[in-house]
Amino acid sequence: MIHRIQTLALLLMLSACVPQNAVITDGGSQVQIRQIQTREYDTLDKSDTLRSIIGTLQDLGFVIDKADHELATISATKLQNYQIRMTITVRERDGERLAVRANARFNEKTIEDALAYQDFFAVLDKAMFLTLHEVD
Amino acid sequence: MPSIPLARLISVLAVLCVMSACQTLPTDAFRLSETALKTRELQTREYDSVNDHAILSASMAVLQDMGYAIDEIEKELGVLSASKRADATNDFATIGSIAMDAMKCLVTLGLGCTGSNYGELDDVQDIRLTLVTRPQREEEEDVSVRITIQRIIWDKKGRVSEQETITDQDVYVAFFAKLSTAVFLEQEGI
Repeated sequence: MIHRIQTLALLLMLSACVPQNAVITDGGSQVQIRQIQTREYDTLDKSDTLRSIIGTLQDLGFVIDKADHELATISATKLQNYQIRMTITVRERDGERLAVRANARFNEKTIEDALAYQDFFAVLDKAMFLTLHEVD
Repeated sequence: MPSIPLARLISVLAVLCVMSACQTLPTDAFRLSETALKTRELQTREYDSVNDHAILSASMAVLQDMGYAIDEIEKELGVLSASKRADATNDFATIGSIAMDAMKCLVTLGLGCTGSNYGELDDVQDIRLTLVTRPQREEEEDVSVRITIQRIIWDKKGRVSEQETITDQDVYVAFFAKLSTAVFLEQEGI
């Protein structure tokens, strides 16, 4: 019985052994994550791209928290008995296209599942297609 | 130390997992729902012969009338975010839970007087609203306006009771009725 309690105590300690400050700077510099979070579009129209992103987020049930045209950044939150927070940035690539990078956090963790980003970009692709071909 | 059977280790880990509330990402979190188009229609209105700055200005007035604080405005993209904290109590539910707590207290001869039913009642709600204007391509003076509303409800013990996106049609109809009046007043310079 004592061994069991020791094991349980050890597991509890292990589960709590990530220092609180370590989470401030954990993650980052992961090429793979950056790749799954980024999609490029053959346009240089930042405004239309940002508006398509806003529309996509609204279609997916997000509320826009912040939007900045100059810095081309949008933050949004989805509440559905869970919480997803997304930040999306748009940057020019090689002077001929725009790269859209989306990163999302589900509750307290960064979403690293490629499928989730694929789903998001599948919806954005359609919105971008309609925008680029001037269809509302 | 004797070896621990794997099954037992797994069950302990499972318990720890539950204790740390390891909720998984729903597979449909980034997929359009079947009702997405209907929801979009519900949340969108089009206004003719008015520019998006006039809409933003009228919206701010309406939101202020309703007690919202404006958190963020991005004129270039036509985005306006606002929020307010409001009462979430329900008189009938309050009376019912007090009666339940009193009954529990009586039945347990004072040992079960925890007030747990009352503590689980909804107390306040934080409502967040975003309004986005989008000029129509064909007519620069036609603007579509879409609003999305979310809220977090807190119970009397300060715990999150519910977090949701509002899809109640009446809420959007009521908001747009007020906005339409405000846009008219704005256009007439009243």
